[in-house]
Amino acid sequence: MAVTSYQAEQKSNQKKLNLIDTDIHERVMYEDLLAYLDQPYRRYITDCHWLQEKHMPYTQPAVAGVDRADAIVPDGRPAGSDLSFMQEQLLDACGHQAGILTGALDPSPSSMHGWYEMATALATAYNDWQIENWLEKDERLYGSVHIAAQDPQAAVREIERVGSHPKMVQVLLPIDDIMWGDPYYHPIFEAAQRHDLMIGMHHNEPPVYYGKWPRYFIEWHTLIPTAHMNQVTNMVFNGVFEKFEGLKLMMIEGGFTYVPFLMRKMDQQYKDLRHEVPWVKRMPSDTIREHICFTTQPLEEMNKKTFLEVLDQMGTDDIVSFSTDYPHWDYDSPFEALPPNLDANLQRKLFYENALRFYPKLKGLAGGVSHE
Amino acid sequence: MNKNALADTKREVVCHQDDLQPGQMLEYTFGRHPVVVCRAEDGRFFAFLNRCIHQGAPLSKGKLCGATAPTSNIGEYRFEKEGDILRCPWHGREFDIKNSGCMLAQPKYKLKSFKVTVEDEHVVIYR
Ligand code: FES
Repeated sequence: MAVTSYQAEQKSNQKKLNLIDTDIHERVMYEDLLAYLDQPYRRYITDCHWLQEKHMPYTQPAVAGVDRADAIVPDGRPAGSDLSFMQEQLLDACGHQAGILTGALDPSPSSMHGWYEMATALATAYNDWQIENWLEKDERLYGSVHIAAQDPQAAVREIERVGSHPKMVQVLLPIDDIMWGDPYYHPIFEAAQRHDLMIGMHHNEPPVYYGKWPRYFIEWHTLIPTAHMNQVTNMVFNGVFEKFEGLKLMMIEGGFTYVPFLMRKMDQQYKDLRHEVPWVKRMPSDTIREHICFTTQPLEEMNKKTFLEVLDQMGTDDIVSFSTDYPHWDYDSPFEALPPNLDANLQRKLFYENALRFYPKLKGLAGGVSHE
Repeated sequence: MNKNALADTKREVVCHQDDLQPGQMLEYTFGRHPVVVCRAEDGRFFAFLNRCIHQGAPLSKGKLCGATAPTSNIGEYRFEKEGDILRCPWHGREFDIKNSGCMLAQPKYKLKSFKVTVEDEHVVIYR
């Protein structure tokens, strides 16, 4: 009896892509972090059983919770926790040129309420663990600087400490109940810009529904783009991109189909209400097109005509970048998620060139890669 | 291509019927096609192309399970069809193996199925 495996199937049937995957979730377990944590923080975990408090009431969306059922490591460890399995199932199978790691929800230092010192220590440990076990083990993987952004001075120190690592390409900020455009957080953007790092924003818990959980997961998941809209609106009208002219923002895992609406709405508001935010000197849609890129996943199913119409309404196809969200349940396959028969030039932009253009530190990739 | 080779691609013995218990699935390659063979709780066998019609996930890595029955009462959960629903390992779409592989949320979409019989205690698949 012949038994097929997913990997063999994918390899034999599908053409490799030139792909920069802008959202891959590696997962740490607390025991992995211990070696990177200083005292007394380590003992708060080992002796005192500290855990980051999390609240999501519905972790059952798919067959294996929030993960792809086939991404659980064969020895039973959680999805995303093993580099070699990720290499086999994702990076090798899809032919990634590069993948950008965006962490998992727990621990998420910037999402901790209170105890900033522990959050700062966790961020440091996480970054060291990420560099040693992922970024320096696979040349395709790039990383996110985790920070405890609630304490901007400590966050800046962490960016100074690891931000110049050649494979760190962005500073990660969670989207939850903090609006990051507030001038209080601007030192973080200043430090990111100085180190050629993008800001990557990814939703955390619970960004929608007035900072609370709706009754059902299906509501929460439907409304994630609203949380992304909050942050884009906040960043633009708080003047972040006027103040930091070189700063780029990657909006991760909210899709992009909300963007045409938001551009139109913000432009119309700006025409009427500019007097309130005189530090904003351009039409918001122009600022978005220059400074913000949006990852594709989770893509709604669209035919080619609708897909192209959405891009057309954005006024550019330069600010959308493909992402898989591996290993989560709502993973998008680079071979299947986009409408078929997009022209080759557009595919190159979505899969590769747009991310390359946005991430200053990915520039080095350009030389070695053929786009054919 | 000789005649026998052609015949082989149209009918193949997959396994002994006892190799697959109710509630289990197995992967099988039928000619060029990856196939998932499912055994329902009542002992019957069903076979489908082992690629989800959404984004191509290997269905055999999902679960044979039941489903919540449609209801007119908000807040009511009634679990039915235990073992008859093939749920995709990625986005969790539910396919009814006993109803031609139709998707529960949108029954006009269904999995590609293969005919399966039991002959001399063996599971046989046809195309
Ligand atoms: S690939 Fe099966 S539900 Fe999406």
